[in-house]
Amino acid sequence: MTTLILALIIGAVLFGIGLYGALSQTNLVMIMMGVELMLGATMVNLVAFWRFLHPDVYAGQMFVLVVMTVMAVEAAVGFGLGTARFRAKGSVEMEEAAELKG
Amino acid sequence: MMPTIFIALFGAAAIWFGVRVFQTSSMVRSALSLLGAMAAIGGMFLAMEAEFLGVLQLMMMATEMSIMAIFMVMYMMDPGGLGQMDMSHQQREALAAGIVATLLAVAVALLVNWGTVAKEVDSTTVQLRALGIEIMERSMLLFETVGVTILVSMIAAIAVAVAREPKR
Repeated sequence: MTTLILALIIGAVLFGIGLYGALSQTNLVMIMMGVELMLGATMVNLVAFWRFLHPDVYAGQMFVLVVMTVMAVEAAVGFGLGTARFRAKGSVEMEEAAELKG
Repeated sequence: MMPTIFIALFGAAAIWFGVRVFQTSSMVRSALSLLGAMAAIGGMFLAMEAEFLGVLQLMMMATEMSIMAIFMVMYMMDPGGLGQMDMSHQQREALAAGIVATLLAVAVALLVNWGTVAKEVDSTTVQLRALGIEIMERSMLLFETVGVTILVSMIAAIAVAVAREPKR
């Protein structure tokens, strides 16, 4: 088994754990943790692709920087929404937020 | 051979910490476990000779997870998990979705012919220079867009979170 496939399998398992967490948790911050794990798995795959397939093309590393920014944006917006929700309802439990369906 | 061993070790650590995030009922432990997983991912980057990204990942995630732990303590009724509150739902469906997604991704990793694998990469100095040129030349527009996006999201997050005075 090549190192590339090993890294991709690790990324796949991390993505699965993140997806499980994002779907199974009821707390906003825990859901965000699941999403962060999925984005982390994406970054592992991107770095593995860059390292083992195209180490001379630095757009691969640039893509990782974009995903890191997406993580930061997700955290900023998530905590903003969480703070608004906590101020309004005193809780960030998403099962109590059914009215957000519209 | 050595990088492969380190990638496997850091990968196993990332998976173990990732599982721990959703196993413990203590929110603070969850945040610290996620920090462990992200640090292990940073270790994988270092083992894959992407030194800049590895160090960036370690620095960024240490900060982000510490902030996450603080928010956990602020928002949770039981941040220490002493009351053993259950904060999960649709466990079976979520587990099935996680396993199916993992198996699909593993199948793709194993079945695709990835072609020739590169043996060597540039030294860190050359990498940093090349990444800088990439950012300032070909990916300039993307880099600018990303910068503006994060600025806008910060302003939006503050606008959403700020307390509103009731109308008189």
